[in-house]
Amino acid sequence: MEKLENTLVLCFRVLIGVSFAVLIAAVLVQVVGRLTSNSPIWTEELTRFALLYVAAIGAGLSFRSGDLVNVDIFCEAFGDAWSRRLRFVSAILTATLSAVLIFPAWQYVKIGQLQTSPAMQMPMHLVHFSVLALLIILFLFSALRAVSIALYGQEGRPVGLD
Amino acid sequence: MALTVLLGVFILGLMIGVPVAVTLGLASFAYLSYVGIPVVVMPQKMYAGMDVFVLLSIPGFILAGNLMNMGGITERIIRFANALVGWIRGGLGLTNVGASMLFGGITGTAVADAASIGGVMIPGMKKAGYPADFSAAVTAASSTVGPIIPPSVPMIIVGALSGISVGQMFLAGAIPGILMGFAMMVTTYLIARKKNFPKQPWLGFTEISKSFGGAFWAIAMTGIIIYGLLSGLATPTETAIVASVYAFVVGAFVYGDLPLKAVPKILINSAISSAAILVLVGFANVFGWILVSERIPQAIADAVLTITDNPILVVLIINILLLFVGMFMETIAALIILFVPLLSLAQAVGIEPLHFATFAVLNLMIGLTTPPLGVCLFVCSNIARVPLTPVVKAIFPFLITNIIVLLLVSYIPALATWLPSVMLK
Repeated sequence: MEKLENTLVLCFRVLIGVSFAVLIAAVLVQVVGRLTSNSPIWTEELTRFALLYVAAIGAGLSFRSGDLVNVDIFCEAFGDAWSRRLRFVSAILTATLSAVLIFPAWQYVKIGQLQTSPAMQMPMHLVHFSVLALLIILFLFSALRAVSIALYGQEGRPVGLD
Repeated sequence: MALTVLLGVFILGLMIGVPVAVTLGLASFAYLSYVGIPVVVMPQKMYAGMDVFVLLSIPGFILAGNLMNMGGITERIIRFANALVGWIRGGLGLTNVGASMLFGGITGTAVADAASIGGVMIPGMKKAGYPADFSAAVTAASSTVGPIIPPSVPMIIVGALSGISVGQMFLAGAIPGILMGFAMMVTTYLIARKKNFPKQPWLGFTEISKSFGGAFWAIAMTGIIIYGLLSGLATPTETAIVASVYAFVVGAFVYGDLPLKAVPKILINSAISSAAILVLVGFANVFGWILVSERIPQAIADAVLTITDNPILVVLIINILLLFVGMFMETIAALIILFVPLLSLAQAVGIEPLHFATFAVLNLMIGLTTPPLGVCLFVCSNIARVPLTPVVKAIFPFLITNIIVLLLVSYIPALATWLPSVMLK
């Protein structure tokens, strides 16, 4: 279980790093283009798409780290055993919401098949796919937390940024 | 009934401890299912919420701040602030506030400020004879100027929610941030005189100029950001990324304190922090769309206006509500949920969006230092190794100071709107 989680975390950390690097590179090309009066038209679009993938890939990692903030004052007030149960319920609710939205998100991806982006001529379903990816990844990490609490006796608290 | 479902699920989700973003999604899903609107609207609205031009600058500003923070700016800024004000009674307390003001112009996050400045200043102040609770309190209180002095992630979020440009928002925060910093310096001085806290020796103009030389490259980043935004040469996103490159060069090659092997980790962690904000914005866009279609902002405005339409009282009601929510909820989450509904109310009594946005952000920052959820309070009491209660008592004068500044900014619009009107003609 721990090995699976570590592997997932490593994969998504690499992917989010790559997405952010693409975003930075696109903006830098834009800046250099501006200075040399030869600004490509695709950079702004690529920056936007890269950011959407940063959000999608980071959804699970931010759930795990606790960056996806919650109000824990009430659940922590009930003592350790109850707050652990509530963290389990919270993880289940997160996984359930993500799961029920996966099919609507897939429908949204299909809508994008009919469109292309203006500058890069990229099929928009590849961009809309970021929302589907966000929900799948959020489902993965919240389900993992629920399983780790229920079956492996873990506390299920956010672990912070590595 | 549909509205009861929406708000009921939302409040229940928050109480259980579900992440705020997910709670917004759950409430929206329950509402849409109840009224029979196809749920496919949710991914569409999430996408639309995250695909906003202004939000593109958030990861860049977070990365620039994190790179600078890891690149050895803390000691240099503290040394410079100490040379400037350390010789006054309560000098290390004043240094603490001054360093936070300079730090705020670079990183723009209160928690990073509290941890970085606190890590150096709190042990130093304790060693010099300052009480631990006061040392923690002044650090926590002064860290709240970070997200008010530009750059500021909450200000970017407000820009995205209201359509106000990032440049305008950043400039609107400058005077209130400086005012807040100076007000806290006065409070520190008065406490220091009353309790006879020590002062440092005057180190002379040579030390001021030497320490400025050390801090210059870090402080210059604020100048680059402001220039980039005001000159019209660069978009906020370009400014943020150029600031990141600058922070990397200064940290790695000028100061030499930023290990190259730490850069990927900083990059990835900055991306994760940004993703958390974007996911929140995405789900909040669905929730916000429902609120607007149910005319909730208008209903809130009408409800308050039946009690009073006096702008002075309305501003007071808005501030009390925000202070209360800020005590329990994280700043950006509170902003995203409350900003649009309260903006309608503010506009109904003639308050400019830019003015409202500024005092709303300032207000929610105060929540970072109030129990039970004052993150900066926890960080500083941990560093000082004192229980929370004495720190809460010690921070009380600073809370009063910050609330006075909040009221000044709330009732004197020019404090927020004058600088943008002059600089962005």
